[in-house]
Amino acid sequence: MFKALFTFHYWLERKAIGFVVAILMVSSVGGIVEIAPLFTIHQTVEAAPDMRLYTPLELAGRNIYVREGCYACHSQMIRTLRDEVERYGPYSLAVESKYDHPMLWGSKRTGPDLARIGNKYSDEWHVLHFIDPRALVPPSVMPSYARLLNNSLRTDDLGNHLTAQRAVGVPYSDEMIANARADAFGQANPDSPLSEGVSKRYGEATTVRPFDGKPDHLTEMDAIVAYLQILGRLTEAPYKTAATTGE
Amino acid sequence: MIGHLTRSERQLTLYMLLAVVITGLAMLVAGKDDSLGVHGALVMVVGIAAIFGVIAEFFEPEPTENRLDSYYDEPSRIGIVFAMAWAAFGLFVGAWVAWQLAYPSLNFEAGWTSFGRLRPVHTTSVIFGFGGNALIATSFYVMQRTSRARIPDQISPLFIVFGYNLFCLLAVSGYMIGVTQSKEYAEPEWYADIWLVIVWVTYFVVYMRTLLHRKEPHIYVANWYYLAFVLIVAVLHIVNNLAVPVSFSSAKSYTIFAGVQDAMTQWWYGHNAVAFFLTAGFLGMMYYFLPKRAGRPLYSYRMSIISFWGITFFYLWAGSHHLHYTALPQWVQTLGMTFSVMLLVPSWTAAANALLTLNGAWHRVRDDATLRFMMVAAVFYGLTTFEGSFLAIRAVNSLSHYTDWTVGHVHAGALGWVAMITFGSIYAAVPWLWKRENMYSPRLVEVHFWLALAGTIVYVLAMWNSGIIQGLMWRTYASDGTLAYSFLDSLVVMHPYYIARAVGGTLFLIGALVGCYNIWMTVRAPRQPMAGPEADYPEPRVPVGSVPQAAE
Amino acid sequence: MGVTHDALVWLAKSAGLFYLIGLSLLVLAYTFWPSNKTRFDRAAKSILDQEDRPCR
Repeated sequence: MFKALFTFHYWLERKAIGFVVAILMVSSVGGIVEIAPLFTIHQTVEAAPDMRLYTPLELAGRNIYVREGCYACHSQMIRTLRDEVERYGPYSLAVESKYDHPMLWGSKRTGPDLARIGNKYSDEWHVLHFIDPRALVPPSVMPSYARLLNNSLRTDDLGNHLTAQRAVGVPYSDEMIANARADAFGQANPDSPLSEGVSKRYGEATTVRPFDGKPDHLTEMDAIVAYLQILGRLTEAPYKTAATTGE
Repeated sequence: MIGHLTRSERQLTLYMLLAVVITGLAMLVAGKDDSLGVHGALVMVVGIAAIFGVIAEFFEPEPTENRLDSYYDEPSRIGIVFAMAWAAFGLFVGAWVAWQLAYPSLNFEAGWTSFGRLRPVHTTSVIFGFGGNALIATSFYVMQRTSRARIPDQISPLFIVFGYNLFCLLAVSGYMIGVTQSKEYAEPEWYADIWLVIVWVTYFVVYMRTLLHRKEPHIYVANWYYLAFVLIVAVLHIVNNLAVPVSFSSAKSYTIFAGVQDAMTQWWYGHNAVAFFLTAGFLGMMYYFLPKRAGRPLYSYRMSIISFWGITFFYLWAGSHHLHYTALPQWVQTLGMTFSVMLLVPSWTAAANALLTLNGAWHRVRDDATLRFMMVAAVFYGLTTFEGSFLAIRAVNSLSHYTDWTVGHVHAGALGWVAMITFGSIYAAVPWLWKRENMYSPRLVEVHFWLALAGTIVYVLAMWNSGIIQGLMWRTYASDGTLAYSFLDSLVVMHPYYIARAVGGTLFLIGALVGCYNIWMTVRAPRQPMAGPEADYPEPRVPVGSVPQAAE
Repeated sequence: MGVTHDALVWLAKSAGLFYLIGLSLLVLAYTFWPSNKTRFDRAAKSILDQEDRPCR
């Protein structure tokens, strides 16, 4: 019976599969014309020789930013519009997020843009603001993140994180991967012997500070504040572009 | 639930569930220091519970020979129950986070209740939980009827429905414990994504197999939309979720795309999830249930073909309108804008086709809230696609982007179009699926309709106002050439609109709860013999009182 | 690598455009081909028929 069924419906079967092929052909037009060139888009990204990598602590902070869903309310993409440049700073360049896996450009500003938040406020301000946003900014609707101050930062797998980042194209060196854990401790504890390695591996401009005010305890607060303080500061390119074009 | 399976099929189901439990155990062992272990435990618990469920019915009588003489509707019934459960849960979370934006202390200071974690819980529950289950359930229903063929497989449709809900459960529970990729509408991590690929490929195979067994020479247009939905969502999901896990004992992964490339891939995915999940799939629903309920053939079959190919052509270009004035190259932005505007043609063709189909049946629209749900859905579809094309224009987008206007636009589509067409279709399908004369209470359908409509309108108006005010305040200059308002000034002005939005969302939630109650009572009602020609229905085994509950 | 951004953009804007126009014409031809009309009319009405069981 089965065989007879197949013979009878042979031409119909061809039609159904042809239909799938047709959908793929039609829908692929957009892909071929628009998407394919984008896979080479890194060739259009500006050069920024001074661009530095996220330190392990900053990367961990970035992952906390991801985990808590901060991107739902904060963008990290200043558009090329006059009011945005005047409100937030020089417009974002593609190169600034070239090591961002994933990008965190965001799509909604329930809170302000954070692309240039680095160095705008002190570490103490950020810590207090995370503990109780409305104590510093009364109309704020941001949730409190006081618990970050008590959560110890997980560091045992930071080397794996850097290895995975290297696998997707971020140029972390073997030395960086081997010292990932030590560098995370060192960056938040300037008095410890571990802190020297951080600036040696990631550049003199790296901020080495007790971000949450407790150098002996490496917390998630250290990581997220370290991350916020580097936002918009990985390269000086956008500030130079702004100066030369007179924006 | 497995009464229609033969003994050997029940055995096979047990083996499959055993494989699920073993996978969960492996995840638990590998990720014992990580969130992965939590999910491993969850998978194990779900698998073991399902095994007990199967064993409980294992020695029930086997189905009779003639089970193949009726359509296979059990997966559709299960899918509809899941869809309504997810709707109640997802809309509740949505209303909750809306109230949080008006009164931030409503998160009670717990980590998992903060806005950032609950927001994807809301979006995933309503889009994938509610919408996805409704699409799977109705697609099985429609493809069998329009093909005049029963789904050829017995276990795989059940695997699709339950497997898909396991994915939703992993996704939603993951966000609450901090497992997310942060890619909007694609937040689940790598292992959940792989699981979804397995489920989805099975879905595609089942769909194709049923089509290949069809007894109708022509594939009805609703199937085109469902097929495009299944096919293209697979492509989008796989490409956008390409990632490298930190290790096999870690829930965390890093996407292979970076920066501008990732942004474009993400919004190519995000926009086409709107196109092929939230539009194509639901148009398939509309093209079957609306004419069926109105008792009139489609106004123009040719228009439906034109709009199908138009949507398939144009949507895939439009994603870059999410990235106007960003670091994305300008030619891509312009292309995205152009095609977004062109999209208006097929979209309005579809909306007009639906409304013109109702010509001659307007008295039914007046009397029948179920049909009115579908009519209003078509109207909102037309309005939202117009707004979408409008917002994609660069100049408009410079004002609207990053503001609540976008949120209002999305909800005009999600509440007004997607949810309304789904509720209409579910109200039409439930009596047919459970072999009842009618819904338990047509008056409660009426109540649900007005609550849903009022909620949508309040929500959308509030967000239009707040969004436009926000956008204008951000770009207003004082006479001395400085920005007139700080960001905080705009936030203070939002407060009353955020309250109004939360009220709108709450109305919509109450409507959905009324719907859940109504459907529950319909399912529980004693089965009446049907009058008329339908009385000779073959009698599929209907598990009254053993309706599955969605795990939340 | 041989594939450059500019080359792909050029290809997209030339070949991609003709591909789009060609497929659009095919779809329009299929839709309005006179002999397809009966099939479409039949399909539009088919869902309203009684469909109480699979046809075997």
